This record gives sequence, C-alpha cells and structure tokens, in this order.
Amino acid sequence: MDGYIRICDVEKYYGSASNVTKAVDRVSFQVAKGEFVGIMGASGSGKTTLLNMLATIDQVTAGHIFYENTDITELSEHALSEFRKNNLGFVFQDYNLLDTLTIEENIVLALTLQGERKKETQDKCRRIMELLEIDAIKDQFPYQVSGGQKQRCACARAMVNRPKLLLADEPTGALDSHSAQTLLETFVNLNHVLAATILMVTHDAFSASYCSRILFLKDGKIFHELMRGEKSRKLFLQDILDVLSLTGGELSNAR
Amino acid sequence: MLAKLSLRNVKRSVRDYMVYLLTMTVVVALMYAFGSLIFQNELTSYFDMVDLMAVMIILATVFIVLIVAWLIHYMVRFMLEKKSTEFGIYMLLGMPKKTILRLYMTENIILGGLAFLAGLFLSVLLQQVLATVMFSMVRMEYHLHFSFSRETILTTMLCYAGCYLLALLRCGWKFRKLNIHGLMNAKRQNEEIKEKNEEVKRILLPISIIFILLFWACFGHLTNAGEIVLFLIGLVLTIYLFYLGLSAWIICYIRKKGNGIYRGGNLFLLRQFASKVRTMQFTMGTLTALFTLALMGSSIALMFNEYENTALDGKFPFDVQIHGSAEASFAQEKKVIDQAADVSAYYSYSIYTDGENQVNTWMLTHLKDWGTMFRKGQKMDAEPDLEEIEDFLQNDGVYYPYDTYMGISDYNHLREMLGYEKVCLRADEYLVQVKPRLESDVQEIGDSLKLKNAAGDGLLSFAGIASEPFSQDGHNGADYVVIVPDAVLSRMHPYYAELVADIKGRAASGLQKKLDALTLNTDERTPIGHDYKDLCYGSDTIITYAVVYAVRDNLIPEIKYMLASLIIPLFYIGLVFVCVAVTVLSVQQLGDSSKYRFRYDVLAKLGMGKPERGRLIFKQLAAYYLCPAILAMIISGKMILFISARFVDATGVPAYSGSFFAKSIALFFGIYLVYFAVTYVGFKRNTVEPPVS
Repeated sequence: MDGYIRICDVEKYYGSASNVTKAVDRVSFQVAKGEFVGIMGASGSGKTTLLNMLATIDQVTAGHIFYENTDITELSEHALSEFRKNNLGFVFQDYNLLDTLTIEENIVLALTLQGERKKETQDKCRRIMELLEIDAIKDQFPYQVSGGQKQRCACARAMVNRPKLLLADEPTGALDSHSAQTLLETFVNLNHVLAATILMVTHDAFSASYCSRILFLKDGKIFHELMRGEKSRKLFLQDILDVLSLTGGELSNAR
Repeated sequence: MLAKLSLRNVKRSVRDYMVYLLTMTVVVALMYAFGSLIFQNELTSYFDMVDLMAVMIILATVFIVLIVAWLIHYMVRFMLEKKSTEFGIYMLLGMPKKTILRLYMTENIILGGLAFLAGLFLSVLLQQVLATVMFSMVRMEYHLHFSFSRETILTTMLCYAGCYLLALLRCGWKFRKLNIHGLMNAKRQNEEIKEKNEEVKRILLPISIIFILLFWACFGHLTNAGEIVLFLIGLVLTIYLFYLGLSAWIICYIRKKGNGIYRGGNLFLLRQFASKVRTMQFTMGTLTALFTLALMGSSIALMFNEYENTALDGKFPFDVQIHGSAEASFAQEKKVIDQAADVSAYYSYSIYTDGENQVNTWMLTHLKDWGTMFRKGQKMDAEPDLEEIEDFLQNDGVYYPYDTYMGISDYNHLREMLGYEKVCLRADEYLVQVKPRLESDVQEIGDSLKLKNAAGDGLLSFAGIASEPFSQDGHNGADYVVIVPDAVLSRMHPYYAELVADIKGRAASGLQKKLDALTLNTDERTPIGHDYKDLCYGSDTIITYAVVYAVRDNLIPEIKYMLASLIIPLFYIGLVFVCVAVTVLSVQQLGDSSKYRFRYDVLAKLGMGKPERGRLIFKQLAAYYLCPAILAMIISGKMILFISARFVDATGVPAYSGSFFAKSIALFFGIYLVYFAVTYVGFKRNTVEPPVS
C-alpha cells in the first residue's frame, strides 16, 4: 500500500456539547492508487459522513485526510473548490445531473469549468461517452433517459477529468438490478482500463462484491475489513454476506 | 388543524414571497394615496377642473386593478404549482378538494390581508408626500396633517378586493379540474424541456429584429389609422414571438456547439436562460408590454412636467393681460381689477393690421409645424397654395386672418414692463417678434417679406428677430408680431386692443373668474368682422391656452392643476406597472430557488468556487432581468423619441427631446435596481449559502 490517500484518525461529531453524536469515530485507513474500495454499513453507521469528508463537502471535527501530500483538512474554502475541481469525481444515488442540459452537455460542462479548450473538450467527451456507451443518447435530456443511463452519464462526467479519486455514494440505490449490474461493470471497467481509484459507499452486498476491498463500518468505527484477493466475485459475495449475518446486516439486499 | 396548517403555510410564504408582499403593500399604499386625490383633495375648493383629476384617477385605477389582478392570479397559480405535491398528498390522505381549496384560499387571503394592513400604514405617509407634491405644483403651501378618510379606505378596500376576486375566481375554476396525479406531476411537467422544430422557431428572432428595425424606420411616417393598427398588431406579435425565437436561437447555438459554450460556466448559463425564457415566453412578452407602457407613461408625464416647470411661466409674462376690440376702453375691466389688486401700472395699446397676409403666408409655408401643407401639391419647394391659405386663415382660427403689427414705442414700453432691454429701430426698418420656440424656423423671414415704408413708396429693411416670451398666444399676435416704426402704422388700422397691468404682490385668487364673468354679456366684434373673443393662439399644439383675460397668478396654478391630473395618473400607472412586472421577474427566480440550489450544488461539486458561483448567479439574474427591459426600451424608445420631438417642437419646452426618455429610464432602473438587489441577495442566500437549520 503506497498510501495514495490516507485517512488518519478522522472524527466527526454532531450536536451540542450536552448531546454529542459521534458519526465517525477515529477512523483510519489508506487507499492505494488504482484500488476499488467499498465502504459498507447499515443506515446511520457513518459511511456517507465519511464519504462527504473525503469529498471535501463536509469538514472533519478532528483528524487528517491526505491526498498524496495534500492535507485537505488544512485547505481554505477556495483551495478546496480548486482541489475538488482537479482531483475528485462524484457519482450520487440521485444522479445530480443538470436537468436543463443534455447528457453530452452535462459532461462538457465539467470540462469547460476546468478551462479546457473546445477541441480537447470535444475529444475527451466523445471518448468517455463511447467508453460508457452513452453516445447514442448524447442529445437527450436527463428526463428522457433511464436511470441506468443517467447514472452512466454521471460516471462519465465524474471520470472525464481523470480525477485522483472517484467517489460514489450508493450509486446503484435508485437502479433496477440489471442497470445496477451494468453500472458496476462500468466501475470495474473504469478501474481496469483507466486505472481509476474508486471509493464506493453502499449498503448492498451485491454492489460491494465488485470491489477489491471492503471496509465495514458500524457506529462510526471500522469493525472489519475484507480483501477479495484472487477470489471469484461469487465467493467474495458469500464472504460479505457472512460478515453481514454476523452483524445483523441487511441480508435482504443480497441478490 | 386546518387553521394551523394555513397559518404555518402563511408563515412560510411570507418568507418565500417577500417581494410579492412588498409590492402588494406598495400597491395598496399607492391606491390609497391616489384615491385620496378624489376624496380628500383639499384643492377642490380652489379649482374648477377637479372632476378631470377624479376621472383620470378612476381611469388609471381601472387599469391598475386589472394589472394587479393579473399579478395576484399569476402568484396564486405560481404558488399552487409550488405546493402541488403537498396538495396531492393531502388528497391522497383523503382530504376533500373543497377543503384543500379553502385551505389554500385562506392562506392567500391572509397574505393579502397582511399586505393590505401594512399598505394602509405606508399609505398615510405616501398620501402626505403626494399632497405636498400637489400643493407645491400649484404653488400653495401645505401643512402636514395625518388623516384617514373612510371613503378612501373603503374605495381602496373595494379595489383591492376586486383584484383578489378577479384573480381567485379564475384560480378556483382551475383548481376544480385538478386530480391527484396532475398535482403530483405538476412540478415535473414544468421541468420537461420540449425541443421541437428549433431550427424553424429560430427564424422568429431575425423576423422580430427586422420588424423592430422596420418599426424604427416607419413609425414617424404612419399616416392612417389602418397602418397604425397593423403596426401595433405586428408589435404585439413581435413582443411575444421574440422570446420564442430567442430561446430557439440559443438552443440552436448550443446544439451547433458554438465556441461560446466552451468557456467557463457559459453552457450552464445559456441553457438556464434558454429554458427559463422558453417556459416563461408568454409572461416575458407581457412583462415587456408592461415595461413599454410604463416607460411611455412616465416619459409623457415627464414631458408635461417639464412644460409646467419651464415653458408655462413664459406663456403669461404679464401679471394681467386683456384682449379687447379695437375700440375697447377697458373701463369695466379696470374697475374689477382695481377692486381685487393693487395695480402699479396699466398700459393699453393696439395691434394693427394692413389687411394683407403675406406674413401669415410666409409662416404657413415655412414653419416646421406646417410642413408642406400649404404648398401646391404638398411639395417642398412649390409655390404657396394661396386658396388653401385663405380658406385656412378665415376659418380655422389658428392665425388672425390678417397680418399683425405693433408700433415700436408700444413694443419698447412693454419690453420695459417685462424687464427686457429696449430695442432701437431706424425709420426704414422692421423686426419680427416670435415665440421662443420658433426662433430657428424664422431666421430667413427677412429675405422674403416686402413691407412698405410709411410713405408707401419704398420697402422696410429687416433688422432681425426677437424671441423673448411675449404673450403671443393671441394677445401680442399669434406666433408673431411685426414691429415697425410708429410712422408706418399710419397707413394701417387698429385690429384689436390689449390692456396689460402690473400688480404689486399677488393677484387675488378669484380675479380671473370675475373678469371672465364680464365677457358673458358682450357681443362686440372687430371692425373686420372677427369675433374678438376667439383668440388665435398660433401654431402651438398639444397644450394651447387661449384666454381673453389672462391673470397670471390665477391661471398658472389652474393650468398646473390640470396638467397634474394628467401627470399624476400617468406616473401612477407607470409606477404600478413597473412594480408588478419586476415582482413577477423576482418571484419567478426566488420561487424556483430550491431547484436552483440543487443546480448550484452540482456546480459546487464539480469544483466551482463560491465567488464564481456568486458571479454566475449575478450573470444569470442580470441577463434575465435585462432582456425584457432592453426590448421594452428599444420598442418604447422610438415612440417616446418621436413623441417627445413633436412635443418639444409644439410646445417650445427648452429641453433636449431625448432627455425625457433618458430620465424615465433612470427612474425605471431606480426601481429595477432595488428589486434586482433584493432578488440577488435572496437568491444567493437560497442557493449558495449553507441552508439555515
């Protein structure tokens, strides 16, 4: 592990002094370059809070988060938005696409905000759309396409800038099983072809089985870690289900 | 429970629709203040023309009630759309439609009631301001005293309730047709962007622009009513179709991947703008029409205002001036004046004529006002059409049928009374005294006139033009009087007589009426058969004031009051129209802020910093606010510039004709800026700032 992204003793508290909720409680782990890491846990386990802090859209109460040598907990608001622009890509459960823009334009916008030139923008946009197989629907508006297509568009937008880290928060949450499978294969593809580093939060064992490593979160703490290694996905899924059944996790989501 | 729900909804709405509430408050205050001009007008006792003011205010109020009803209707519908999901859930839970309607109406009526109460407080203040303005307009002193009039409150309430009734009736009807699915989907339907045949729709933009250019080129040359109506229909169509064309053009530009969309947040901005304009195209058109009317109303009000502030004083340079037949002794009049005022000097004199009309002919063929009307074939350099001129002079009463002359000694005496320098005239010279506004038109008059000298064996030579205010609306000639050496008058005969008086202090307020009473029983005619009561006021149009008895201190306030009954309703309409239109713009943006918060959040996640988002919001709002304003300015600009040029020519107001347009734009943008600032701050708070929990 080369410590590409290091999370050191991160804590996040909510509430007033008399009534403190520890959403994330002294969590430390590292993510290597090109890794596909999943974070699992039940509702309220703190997984989304953790992701938000990694995504720089929420501040830590204590602890540090390093991206290579940059400690993002020390950055100013302006520096953070610059950092976000240059290093991070997001995929959320509710797609977060702009409804006034077409699929292609949603991707183009991410590039123009980076100050890319027209030619490069068009090239990059075309390549990523081909890779994610959404070039056929590029002129459609988000409301005209399916959830799976929307989510792939969100992936394309997140990946088009080649971010250091792709953050995905329950990306399959709103998708049917077939679309979810396609999307997860897309993630794996991105992970292999583009060597993208991906951090995915999910409470769904099936989704998690596509990761190479899984961190299990409970009450704001990491209580278990699973490595896929050379195992097949099915075996890995079984391992995950075993862990979940131990902790009373959400078996109903296993498919 | 229902009352609680209503109240909670009101609380939320007050925050979300602050701008709307503020506008309604201002509207109530304006309604009350202007209504008070009918019921609490303390000037009624001084003037005869009060009825005119009442009629104009009522007329303006009718327009305002309609527009405000439109605003309320718009807002009620808009809020219904925002609440559609909530109402859908109520229905799903089994609440009858009637109850929901009652809930919603209660909420709206409470909102309206709040604005009404707030407006009443503001109105007391506004009424005092208006009264002070009115009194100072007619040069009287006003002492502040706060009062409420039952009639005014009642009328304001009725008008206000009328607006609500009109608006709510239409909404209730719409409400009845809704079903659960419709309510739950109302929002979603709104967001769908329908792009069809954009390439075709796009053509509407150049067509609109061409029509506007055509409008600029042709507006001054429209001659008959048919053409004007045709142009107006075209204009209304242009206003509405312009926005359809504009959004289609932007969409096509984005689709064509123009270079502009690859810079920063432009793509986002353009898409946002295009979709907003597309969904709002009809409203945008209506707003443009409202802005156009408001700009025109305030410009015309400014014109009249300028007139009463500048040109009016010059119209009555003498304290008292009386027009009489050639033989008039003015004994009766002097008696009346002496009773009412302390006269320091009288001066009576005659205006002469030689029974010809070469000066009249020259004026009719050379003044800009007449154009080519009196030339043969209506061509520029054609000969004067003498028959037409003769007919006009005898029947139209604009100019005296024969040329008017004055002796130099009378002239200098009058000049002295007015505080002007005396002029010297040699025995073989003449000069022409004209209204100030005609000075540039008559520069070449000396080249053409051939006036005989005293002996009748030679010609007088032209010594120049004088153009100080000299009471030339029928008293000292109509438009002009030719000043000649006294000896020349011996070959002419007196046309009519004039009496002027200098008064110490101010004339008593009823003097004019007492003098007017004298004319009722006289029937004298001038030696040439001209009824001397018919003053010929010259080429002035728009505002003409020909009076046999002119008592300056009585007339000027009266005319000012009359003008005020035009100016005030025009400003009233302009003000309300602008406020209503800007409110719709503001509410449209603020009401959608939850949708925009999501969009700006996405931009933040894509790495756009807060200051950049702030700038983007500014650009988005500015484009959205400026678009209808600029179109309205372009359209009204031509009409206002045309009308004001005519106005300046016709009334002799010493102002640059573009100044009225410039001033009303300044006024307009004053109000605009206030609303823009409020919207910008609110919008930014709702979208980029972290939500307040």
